[in-house]
Amino acid sequence: MHRPFAKSPVSIQFLLLVITCGLLLTSCYSVRFVDKRGTGEPDPFSTSDDPFFRGLKVTTLDTTITLKPHLGDPMFLESCNARGFYAFQYRVTFGGVLLSAITFGRKRQVRIKYVCMKEQ
Amino acid sequence: MATTTKHEVGTWDTFHHNGPFPTKVQYNTSLEGKGNMPSLIDRYNDAAAEMQRLLKTALDAGEGFRAFGSRWSMNNIAHQKDNMHFNALMNLKKPVLEDEMQAGSVYQFANLFFVQCGNVIKDLHQFAFDHGKSLRCTGASNGQTIGGCLSTGVHGSALDVGAVQDWVVGLNLIIGPNPDDIVYLERHTDPALNAVFAGRIKARVIRNDELFNAALVGLGSFGFIHGVVIHTEDRYLLKRYVKRINKDVALQLAATMDFANSTFTIPGETDANGKGNRPFHYKIFINPYVDDPEYVVEAIYKKPFVLAYPDPLPRIKTAVYRDLIILFMKIAEKFKNSIPKLIKVLQASVLPPVDLEVTGTLGEIFWDAPFQGPAYAIAVGIDNANAPRALDLLCKLAREEGPIPGIYAMRFVKQSKATMAFTRFPVTCMLEIDGLIWKGKKNKLISLEEFCTRTIEVLKNANIPFTIHWGKNADWSFPGLVQHMYGNKAITWMEHRSALLNEKTAKLFSNKFLEDTGLDVFISNVSPNLAKSVV
Repeated sequence: MHRPFAKSPVSIQFLLLVITCGLLLTSCYSVRFVDKRGTGEPDPFSTSDDPFFRGLKVTTLDTTITLKPHLGDPMFLESCNARGFYAFQYRVTFGGVLLSAITFGRKRQVRIKYVCMKEQ
Repeated sequence: MATTTKHEVGTWDTFHHNGPFPTKVQYNTSLEGKGNMPSLIDRYNDAAAEMQRLLKTALDAGEGFRAFGSRWSMNNIAHQKDNMHFNALMNLKKPVLEDEMQAGSVYQFANLFFVQCGNVIKDLHQFAFDHGKSLRCTGASNGQTIGGCLSTGVHGSALDVGAVQDWVVGLNLIIGPNPDDIVYLERHTDPALNAVFAGRIKARVIRNDELFNAALVGLGSFGFIHGVVIHTEDRYLLKRYVKRINKDVALQLAATMDFANSTFTIPGETDANGKGNRPFHYKIFINPYVDDPEYVVEAIYKKPFVLAYPDPLPRIKTAVYRDLIILFMKIAEKFKNSIPKLIKVLQASVLPPVDLEVTGTLGEIFWDAPFQGPAYAIAVGIDNANAPRALDLLCKLAREEGPIPGIYAMRFVKQSKATMAFTRFPVTCMLEIDGLIWKGKKNKLISLEEFCTRTIEVLKNANIPFTIHWGKNADWSFPGLVQHMYGNKAITWMEHRSALLNEKTAKLFSNKFLEDTGLDVFISNVSPNLAKSVV
């Protein structure tokens, strides 16, 4: 009887590799929220690779926070002008999900980019 | 006080990467905070004083100075090698007050707004909307600053309105460092605001049709545009249709604008006799490599404003993945013969879906245009009667001397009064070729530069009068180009510029683009009356 997977460890490794790559790729994504009537604060020196952020003043938060079990969800206090936020984007990575899972939610990776509204 | 930061940048580039261009200094000016200086007029005048300080510094050093906002022009028109000034943070705006209206003005004060140079069109859409008003037209998107729109003549395709400069009725220019170098220009036959307003912004008033018309599309060379008075109208909605129609019918409409007698009608957009209504906007999309019996056209009709209409913007918006376009360009550069096929594939992403019907405000219909990589745009203006012939010639050029990676389109715009407006024909057809920048010679394709030159040669050889969009790609050094396009109007423009400025400030507000086009000439013996009010 021909049992290719049982006889071929290379195929199993390949399959695992494909699954791992698939997991890594699909679990890494960004979601962006944008105020449709607003205008973002411009920055003539912005050289963002992301075309959405090109020409805009972008603040990036890329950190890992540690939470105590009895505390609720964290809140970052940021300062935009009185007109508020124009856009923000959060990014979820496989590493971030894994970190949260193995620490039972105590460590959380935070990857956020935001742009304030243009003033005046 | 308004604050300016100075940056020794070395180079400067446009938003769409048409540079970089060597540049010594870039200034960024931010306005004083509202809390520190509550009066809007005080903040405006404070910014004017700051601009005069910067102009004096450049003037004393014998250098040039040029403002830029969103950097959307696709050539070096906004560039100056010595001093560049980023003004997109200068975005004050206010309604015009009743006591600021000139007696006898045809305008209602409620329709007028005074806006600073760095306001982008999207800012103005919202500001006008919040006051129950709407802009009269815009370009196809909303990211340009009002100062940039005027300087380059940004057009929409409003058949009966014109381009952006055609709803501007007053200009506040700073033409030098002295107190009387702050001027407010209007047409003497079409005044809007009075001495009360001019006194508030400390400006000297000049009412002169010819001077105003020359400065309106001033190519950034009539001084620093600090503020403009815009004329809006009551809110309205636009209903947009995208249809596939017979090519001959589409081109017949292009040549005649006779919608009443065309076989092209849209149910609900006809008069009592069943004849087609005249749209607000008409656009034809063309793939130059496909001999399609039908073209995709976009027709937009003006409707009364109502509060309840379905939101035309989707809650979740996605875009063509940028890297897909970059990949497309790389393949296109390597496989010359595949470009037409690739354009056909990409067409599905570039063109709007057919049989689409959507209603929204002007600002919603012409919403944000995302950056999708290094881009070029060629746009020639021709009399609409010549549109089919010019299209045929330029499609033939792409097929026979190309291919080039680009999609063609035609839009139609009412004639402008501005001296150097490229919308200079009774109805100007703007024939546009848009795409992403490619490397020509490396892959044995015609280069962008060569294609631009050939565009001019082809139209000249066919004796088709034409203009070129000031903010787009062209062979601006083509000998006698501006004279060919504008004739004596170019002289009139230079004479008025020479009368308003002096030799030093004319040089201050000049740049390589002006030199390349031959428009930098200072005419020393012009009558000073050209820059005085006509009584």
